[in-house]
Amino acid sequence: MARFQTLSLVLANLLIPAAILVFATGFFPYKPFMPGLAVYEKLGWEEKMGWTKEPEPQFDRVVFMVVDALRSDFVFSSESGMSFVQGLIRSGAAIPFTAHATSPTITMPRVKAITTGSIPSFLDVILNFAESDTSSTLAAQDTWLAQLKAKQGGKLVMYGDDTWLKLFPGFFERADGTSSFFVSDFTEVDNNVTRHVPDELLNSDWNAMIMHYLGLDHIGHKTGPKGPNMIPKQIEMDGIVRDIYEAIENEDHLANTLFVMCGDHGMNEGGNHGGSAPGETSPALVFMSPKIKKITEFLVRESPIEQTSDFEYYKKIEQSDIAPTLAGLMGFPVPRNNLGVFIPEFLHFWDEGTDRARLLLHNAQQMKKIIEANFPAYSFADEVQEMDCEGSLSSGKELACKWQKAVQVMSTMATIHPQLRVQYLYDFCRTAQEIMSSTASNYDVPRLVFGTALAFLSVVLSVLAIRPDIRNPSFSGLFYTLTLILYTVLMFASSYVEEEHQFWYWLTSAYFFALFLSSVQKQWLPWPILHPAVMLLVVFRIARRWNQTGQKYAGAPDIVHSGVLEWGNNIVLWSLVGAAYMDNTIRLSRHVARSIANYWNADAEDGESERFMGTMAVLPSGVTAFIFKLAFTARDAPELVRWPNPDMMHWLESVDLVLFARMVFGGLGLSAAWLIYAEWRKSRSPKHVKGSGALALSLFDTLTLILLTQTRTSSLPLYLLFRLTTFFLTHLSTYSPSTSLSPTTITTTTLLLTHTSFFLLGNTNSISSIDLSNSYNGVAGYNISLVGLLLFVSNWAGPIYWSLAGLILLGAHGSRAHNIDVSEMDARDWIAEERAHLVRLADAEKEKGERRTGWGAWRRHVALLTLGQAAAAVAVMGACTVLRTHLFIWTVFSPKFLYAMAWGTGFHLGVTVGVGGGFWWVGGW
Amino acid sequence: MKPPATPIDTLSNDAANLYKHLHPVLILSLYAYQFSSIVADPVPALTTTLIPLAVLQIAYAAICLPPIGSSNGVGGGEKKKPGERRKAAPGKLEVSFNSKIVPAFLSLISSTLPGIPVLALSLLLFGAPVTTHHAETLLAAAHISFLATLPLVYVHGVDGGRWREIVAAQVHIDEVFGCTLGTLVGAWLGAVPIPLDWDREWQKWPITIVTGAYIGFTVGKVLGGTILKGKTVSFE
Repeated sequence: MARFQTLSLVLANLLIPAAILVFATGFFPYKPFMPGLAVYEKLGWEEKMGWTKEPEPQFDRVVFMVVDALRSDFVFSSESGMSFVQGLIRSGAAIPFTAHATSPTITMPRVKAITTGSIPSFLDVILNFAESDTSSTLAAQDTWLAQLKAKQGGKLVMYGDDTWLKLFPGFFERADGTSSFFVSDFTEVDNNVTRHVPDELLNSDWNAMIMHYLGLDHIGHKTGPKGPNMIPKQIEMDGIVRDIYEAIENEDHLANTLFVMCGDHGMNEGGNHGGSAPGETSPALVFMSPKIKKITEFLVRESPIEQTSDFEYYKKIEQSDIAPTLAGLMGFPVPRNNLGVFIPEFLHFWDEGTDRARLLLHNAQQMKKIIEANFPAYSFADEVQEMDCEGSLSSGKELACKWQKAVQVMSTMATIHPQLRVQYLYDFCRTAQEIMSSTASNYDVPRLVFGTALAFLSVVLSVLAIRPDIRNPSFSGLFYTLTLILYTVLMFASSYVEEEHQFWYWLTSAYFFALFLSSVQKQWLPWPILHPAVMLLVVFRIARRWNQTGQKYAGAPDIVHSGVLEWGNNIVLWSLVGAAYMDNTIRLSRHVARSIANYWNADAEDGESERFMGTMAVLPSGVTAFIFKLAFTARDAPELVRWPNPDMMHWLESVDLVLFARMVFGGLGLSAAWLIYAEWRKSRSPKHVKGSGALALSLFDTLTLILLTQTRTSSLPLYLLFRLTTFFLTHLSTYSPSTSLSPTTITTTTLLLTHTSFFLLGNTNSISSIDLSNSYNGVAGYNISLVGLLLFVSNWAGPIYWSLAGLILLGAHGSRAHNIDVSEMDARDWIAEERAHLVRLADAEKEKGERRTGWGAWRRHVALLTLGQAAAAVAVMGACTVLRTHLFIWTVFSPKFLYAMAWGTGFHLGVTVGVGGGFWWVGGW
Repeated sequence: MKPPATPIDTLSNDAANLYKHLHPVLILSLYAYQFSSIVADPVPALTTTLIPLAVLQIAYAAICLPPIGSSNGVGGGEKKKPGERRKAAPGKLEVSFNSKIVPAFLSLISSTLPGIPVLALSLLLFGAPVTTHHAETLLAAAHISFLATLPLVYVHGVDGGRWREIVAAQVHIDEVFGCTLGTLVGAWLGAVPIPLDWDREWQKWPITIVTGAYIGFTVGKVLGGTILKGKTVSFE
């Protein structure tokens, strides 16, 4: 029986990653791209239109200036600092647009969209974090950079964000990349770009100069769009625009230079990006050149414009439209994977209607190839055909009809205004863009269903694994089941995906209250207001308030932003942080002291000298960890470190962070190795009593120090609240044997607290809240697996903490043994009640000791958690399958699936099963 | 120590039987009638609604429920010691005053004074806004307290031991305790619609909570008086 349960549990766990993988391949299909560079091809209708050569290019050089997170209103609104650009708009030398950026609004996918004209797949989000991945480079893809480089004498130069250098390896003649390591750097990253500009403006060998400024994005992340540095930064950017524009006006070799300034994405009111709020998807785009005056005569040239809440200024175009527009203006073929449409305003550069039609036909023919590959069932021939285009049409049919209409207009013998041809071509291009960027087109539905079915099978198997417990459902078991059912329902509601934390907070409060009721039903304590379960509620209420999270109330007041922590030169914050470090260091030193004492004599208590040695051994690691946190914060969030002494501040800023982080990890690794060795040695001694669980506890405290290192400074005091929560839970469980928490109760608590703590630390289900700042601790070069691991640990620190704390609650590891020998008691003992109490206590301790050394309790615990994880996977995958045509699929449900992937593989398999299994094993030594 | 509370039966006279069924309808009608003004401006509307709510609840208690100390109520029917002298029979009006009006006002006072602060603190612990909306939270607590605890005090009095059982949810479910459980669970469930992105006025604090409490009160009253009667809440 037990063997059957173990087998189904193992299978259930193996099915979780399989289900996720199958689903992911169907949900994020690898988009085949067409390799090779586009060349001008025969268009058809050459004779009829009298085409002999390509339309004359208008520009021979481009200066492409990307300002990271340049939201539309930063340039166009009346509150902008960019007065020079606004002057250019008024004079007609600049055409402004709002360039719609699709989600995910993070830099790498946006650069891909700008340069290839395609709409990057969601996989690029993962690849954005795994930047070194070579499959994500654009070296083999057709981009306007590749086209410009392929031109005769084509040379490219690049200054700024090194994302470009990673995407385009070996493309640039001269380059100087900057990496955005510390978002507190507002100036260096930009000066590093600007210092190259004057020299490059004198050089005449390049035909494309790319600049990517990061400072404005950093300011946004740090202080939000209304921060005090925002306007000065805009003025600085405006000055650079002025320098470049004036050079274009004055230098002969720059006379035919097109100057483009754009943002890759915008930012929300919190200054973050990644999601799809209007602010995040609305970057500014401005084309500038004295030559542009030719086409702006009849356009709206009003500037600045009153601030609007939807961030739509001037005409709204797609970000992918930049690529074909550059192609037309600079005279090269439209990149092959482009889904952008030539911006109509620029057609007025060409006076001849035939030239305009020709430009657009290039664009349309290129898009038609992609369409043909995607809808092979329909005919997209260049000849007039009979086609039934009545009634409601499928996407492919609609496109075929639109193409046919364009073909008919191109082929007609009647004399028609050339603009009419342009209009029909536009109609086709726009529909193609819309359909290809819409979502429903490229799912592999059978795989989605199969993946969901696999996850469901995992649910069934884990139910089989816990079957004996189902017959007598406990309150906690019912609560657990109810949680999973509700979770499944809520995953279909986009607002509850965004506000998932509310669900967990709501359940956790209720569950703590149920623990209170359950406890007072058994035994009434005086002062119910100080009951441990009520204290749990109080601690939890404070923790809830620490970091405001979610979308609906993003930016609402919380403790971190209340200014309380900054009182008296941040003394409050650093006292709490220091307390968290001290608490852990002291605990760890006790463990080391005990292990030293036990080294020679397994029964020995740790004495004065052992305590001293333990402290001496652990203190360096603890102090280094604290100094690392101080020095890291001094650079990452300098406003949180205000040292009264400038020398001290200076020293903090000069600390070698990589070295210090390695020292922390190394020191903790050493103490863990010692503790394991000592306990192993002890476990082999003949007198050893199995299962004290001390090692599990020591490793937990070691790991907590690593989690502290990987957590944002402002969230560190939460670990004190976690410690209090553990304390009250333990107290609740141990103050009387009759109220001891059942294993199912502990499992339910673990489920609730792992999820709750994820959100307490400030995470959400949106890409924009992923905290990257701690993922390079101790990593000097670029090591994808290490950075990935650190990234996971820093974002899942809370769940990791509670997964292991839950195990320690379950096994009561390291709890003080009372040494009650029941056999020595007899009936003459003077208080029978006291005797019964002691017997119960002894039984409870014996039971927990047995629980620790066996695998039964752990298996039941993991089986329940596997059920939870599998049910969550079914819920998320089911929602993504059913709602795959939902408006929010890419903005809400897909990021949730990415998170579900990390929960299912990294957290459940890696931490709950992997690390947790190891903990349980050493806890039984 | 008091004997464990047995489920309470409502009085069996005609008025009680009629009003027992009329009461939840009146309570819900009152709330439905006030709903639009509560949504428009919660603080004054919730304040004015409190008065008719208290009147209805006192009426319900006085008409339908056995007051504390009465022979069919809990803790009642104390045996007379043999030979104990009968007190002079009080007049009819006096009986009705002593046995009904006094407990009614006692229950109004105790559901106001310890009731509202305790429930407001509980609301805070369960996630009510800490720094803002204090009046709203207090009013929500007042509504919940009048719904959940007013009849409860009327039948159980203010005995500490009995209230321990009530707080631990150990008393048997009856119509009155059903109201209490229903109101509290309803208020808890009332938080569910708040995060939804429907952008409705009624999603603001504390309207959904109070609505949940009113609906929960009705459901709890009906279930507590019928199928759940005599059962207890267990956390095993």
